[in-house]
Amino acid sequence: MAKNIIIIGGGPAGMEASARLDALGYTVFLVEKEKALGGHLARWDRLFPEGKPAGPVLDSLVGNLGNTKVLLESDVLSLNRLGDSFRISLSSGVSVIADAVLLTTGFDLFEASKKEEYGYGIYDHVVTNADVEEFFRTGGDPRIDNPQRIGLVHCVGSRDEKAGCRNCSKVCCATAVKQACELKAKFPAATVYCFYMDLRMFGRGYEDLYLKAQKEYGIRFIRGRVSEVSERIDKTLQIKAEDTLSSTPLRVTLDLLVLMAGMRPSREGTKVAKMIHLATGDDGFLSSLDGFGGMQATSIPGLFVAGAATGPKTLPDTIAEARAAASLIHEYLQKS
Amino acid sequence: MIDFGFYLTPSSTIDLDKVDRKAVDDLARADSGIRTCIACGSCTASCTAGVFADTSVRQAILSVLNGRNEKARELLSSCMLCGKCMMVCPRGINTRHLILSIQKYFDGQ
Amino acid sequence: MTPFYILQTDVPEVIDRIPGAYDHFILPYCAGIIFCLCWLGVGLVRVIANLSSSDRKALLLSFVNPVLIWKNLKDIFCDCLLHTKIWKRKPLLGFMHSAIAFGWFLLIVLGHLEVWLFAPRHLYLDNGSLFYPIFYRYFIWMNPGHTTLRGSLFFFLMDLCLLYVLAGIGLAIFKRFRSRLLGMKHTTKPSLMDRVALYSLWGIFPFRLLAESFTADLAGGSFLTLPANALLRFLFGDNLHFMPWWWAYSIVLGLFFVSLPFSRYMHILTEPLLILLRNAGIKVRHPRKGYAEAEIYACSSCGLCLDACPMNVQKKNLRFSSVYFIRFLRRHNEKKVNRIADKCLQCGKCLALCPVGVDSPAIRRRQRAAYNDRLAFDYSALKAPVPGGVSGAPVAGGGTPAPAGGKVMYFAGCMSHLTPRIIKAVLEVFRKAGEDFVFADENGGLCCGRPLLLAGKDRAAKTVIEANRKMIMESGCTTLVLSCPICLKVFKEEYKLQGIEVLHYTEYMDRLVAEGRLTLRKGEGSFVYHDPCELGRGCGIYDAPRRLVEGVGQLCKAEKEGDESVCCGGSLGSLTLSYDDRKRITAGALDNLLVNHPDRIVTACPLCLKTFSDASSDVPVVDIAELVAESTARV
Repeated sequence: MAKNIIIIGGGPAGMEASARLDALGYTVFLVEKEKALGGHLARWDRLFPEGKPAGPVLDSLVGNLGNTKVLLESDVLSLNRLGDSFRISLSSGVSVIADAVLLTTGFDLFEASKKEEYGYGIYDHVVTNADVEEFFRTGGDPRIDNPQRIGLVHCVGSRDEKAGCRNCSKVCCATAVKQACELKAKFPAATVYCFYMDLRMFGRGYEDLYLKAQKEYGIRFIRGRVSEVSERIDKTLQIKAEDTLSSTPLRVTLDLLVLMAGMRPSREGTKVAKMIHLATGDDGFLSSLDGFGGMQATSIPGLFVAGAATGPKTLPDTIAEARAAASLIHEYLQKS
Repeated sequence: MIDFGFYLTPSSTIDLDKVDRKAVDDLARADSGIRTCIACGSCTASCTAGVFADTSVRQAILSVLNGRNEKARELLSSCMLCGKCMMVCPRGINTRHLILSIQKYFDGQ
Repeated sequence: MTPFYILQTDVPEVIDRIPGAYDHFILPYCAGIIFCLCWLGVGLVRVIANLSSSDRKALLLSFVNPVLIWKNLKDIFCDCLLHTKIWKRKPLLGFMHSAIAFGWFLLIVLGHLEVWLFAPRHLYLDNGSLFYPIFYRYFIWMNPGHTTLRGSLFFFLMDLCLLYVLAGIGLAIFKRFRSRLLGMKHTTKPSLMDRVALYSLWGIFPFRLLAESFTADLAGGSFLTLPANALLRFLFGDNLHFMPWWWAYSIVLGLFFVSLPFSRYMHILTEPLLILLRNAGIKVRHPRKGYAEAEIYACSSCGLCLDACPMNVQKKNLRFSSVYFIRFLRRHNEKKVNRIADKCLQCGKCLALCPVGVDSPAIRRRQRAAYNDRLAFDYSALKAPVPGGVSGAPVAGGGTPAPAGGKVMYFAGCMSHLTPRIIKAVLEVFRKAGEDFVFADENGGLCCGRPLLLAGKDRAAKTVIEANRKMIMESGCTTLVLSCPICLKVFKEEYKLQGIEVLHYTEYMDRLVAEGRLTLRKGEGSFVYHDPCELGRGCGIYDAPRRLVEGVGQLCKAEKEGDESVCCGGSLGSLTLSYDDRKRITAGALDNLLVNHPDRIVTACPLCLKTFSDASSDVPVVDIAELVAESTARV
């Protein structure tokens, strides 16, 4: 009899792991709380570093699911261990007994309105990175109204003790540079500024993206964190930052301010972890067995983790982890 | 030693060999913020006093680290302790305490 | 049996059995009281001598001002004897204090009255006035069969008062071991001298009861002492040895008075002095001398401030409480005093709850000033024209003048610029009410000076205040509306803006509603209102914000509110409190607010708003201005 596997979270990690485990002949239940699969990827337009469209990536992930039983609009009501197996019950009324569980609960975007001083939700022309993707995907956002002066603020809800998030969110720098280029391409007359604390362009092709942003798109990079935003009568925004490289306070008027909201532990993941008594780190992300060989394993036998549930990850990282988890789960189920 | 005739102008060079490490250590004991600053510039940008005179916690910290204590004092002399920098600091540095600590440490020097 | 109506007889009522008016056993008591009085005298002279000459003059003038004389008498009676302040918060504790203080006071008064009525010659110093009223029952015996109604009444009253005091002492002993039952979570650790004084205080009245009981058959007594005497006779036979008990009574009294100056019980005698000084309008100028000294000795070390202090959500911070601050000041422990002074949030809750009214936050500011006020500062740029880039900013003299016209000036303050939603909402309300106003610091302004005062940099604060004051006076406005309570406090207390009304926007909006210029729509939501420290305890504004909240929704209660509101943890008052410690305070304050499960938390201070919104994950935090703006229709 084929063994059952429950995967909680239908984002890229969950879908990739489902596809692999399905191909290995297991019965996979993929649990997703939203109406559709895809997680944040489904809400993204293009991906860094090359600007590849997100749609086909998503389509291929969905296309590989095979016989995976996808349970949409399903909240996890309970998850507990029964001897060596796990029992999950869902809001849809379904309840499943499984031999292994994989948590791919991903991340939540930082609520940008928490950074009071940036005026998200207060001022008319302040948006987030997710809003920009939405704008490019659907083409409409009244807040993005042919802006001629655009600013992107890195590290909103990342590397910020005050917002309760010390961690770097890893993807925002590259996303900001990508979006800066895209906005410049969309509004060719616009001047685009990136306000950064440190530019962390660590991945393959990222530095090329940075170079292209400077050379081809003429993005102005300012090393300084925006500290205050005020709105004028005409709804333009006045930004205060320090150009730390020239040690001078700086002001600039903008028509659009984009906040690069960082990655926070997902509420759903935290909830599920509590049910199964899986520890979370000081940063709130789920704890895996260790950061090296035990990256996909947890302290609970049969319970595995992959993707941004254990900390900010890029999409390739996430997919690689999902594959690693699939192989580890296979090994675990063969032994038991 | 052969004199090649090239000198770096002393005033423009940070000579870490000559920095008074004791001042840094003492101040770090008084307030660890002097070590945890990531120089993001939020403090300088939001500074109330900065509108009127060169005022910057970030630069003052760097000045102390680089042994320019007088410069640090100058950069903080117009501070009004309003606390905005404390509110915006991403590292949660108690900037008001750090400012007072620097002012006290170099008071009368 | 003496007839009921006889008030005086020809036969003496009492027997002055020791005409020499002396017995060895009084020595311990006399030594104690003489020592204590000398010590007090010196202390009083020190306090008065350390006042500034203007303060001394104010004190003298207060003694001839009928209003103040009446206030002094009332305050001393209510605070020192009846302890009405404690009654209001913790009735059982209030009873305990009033029993000991007022009961003892009555015993002393009645004792003197008795001497005056029955043995008046002993009211003179050379005839034992120092101790006669205390040991009256030892020296004066009743003349059997000749006691009048008057005498019986005194026997009865004395026993009644003694019972009153004993009930208080009983509660005090109980409290020492079970303080929680009297409503106190934390109590102070007594010092050695505190213990000596405490145990002697506990001993005084039981020994008095015993001594008087042993002599009750000879000296007279009433419902307490006579049955006790009968019991003792039953136990020990007819020959009662009363001397040891009078000795014991005298010894504990002596011990108490010797230890008194070095113990917390010094507050009994210092509090009246503090009341006189305070009512004369004297403020603390030095952290140790003059007024502060009176405050230090008036502290009863009761520990009510321990439960009050918001830092004490963490036990490790108990040592920074006011009671220990005062204790270390008294012991001249400069290092600890400085550390505690710098840590305090200046939320003022310990002062609000202090039964004696020791303004320890103010003493802390003086202590900070002792060093920080000497630090150099350079605000010379304020006098020069403002550099380019802040066009239109109506800042300090020499800068661009404030736009004329508006009679109402809005000053947002530094912190509000970090919470744009407050500014936006306030401006919206202004517009909806059709108010003609000027936004003074739209492009940034000066700090109000309060943060400098909180840090003890008084000279610097004065400079900033002067610059701001000039700007406001020159603007020609008649009403100044502020959105930051920190600014409000200093504008009200230090700016001396003649002819200009200074209002917090909650007061101002409340007035707009009352005048019919704003109409609030009442919605469904339930709100809890957080009293910001500087607005509530600082400026006494509790009702206007609540009226506004009630106008837009249902107001639910926090566990502690009003003058017992818990600081949000964001206060600028503390100089050294770490960010982690602050987070713990914020969490505690949130728990306090959420006991009745409100939909939203409402506050009226940018600092509270920012602090709470960072920490509150489930319940949204809004500013009153936002609530008013969203539920206001233009009239």
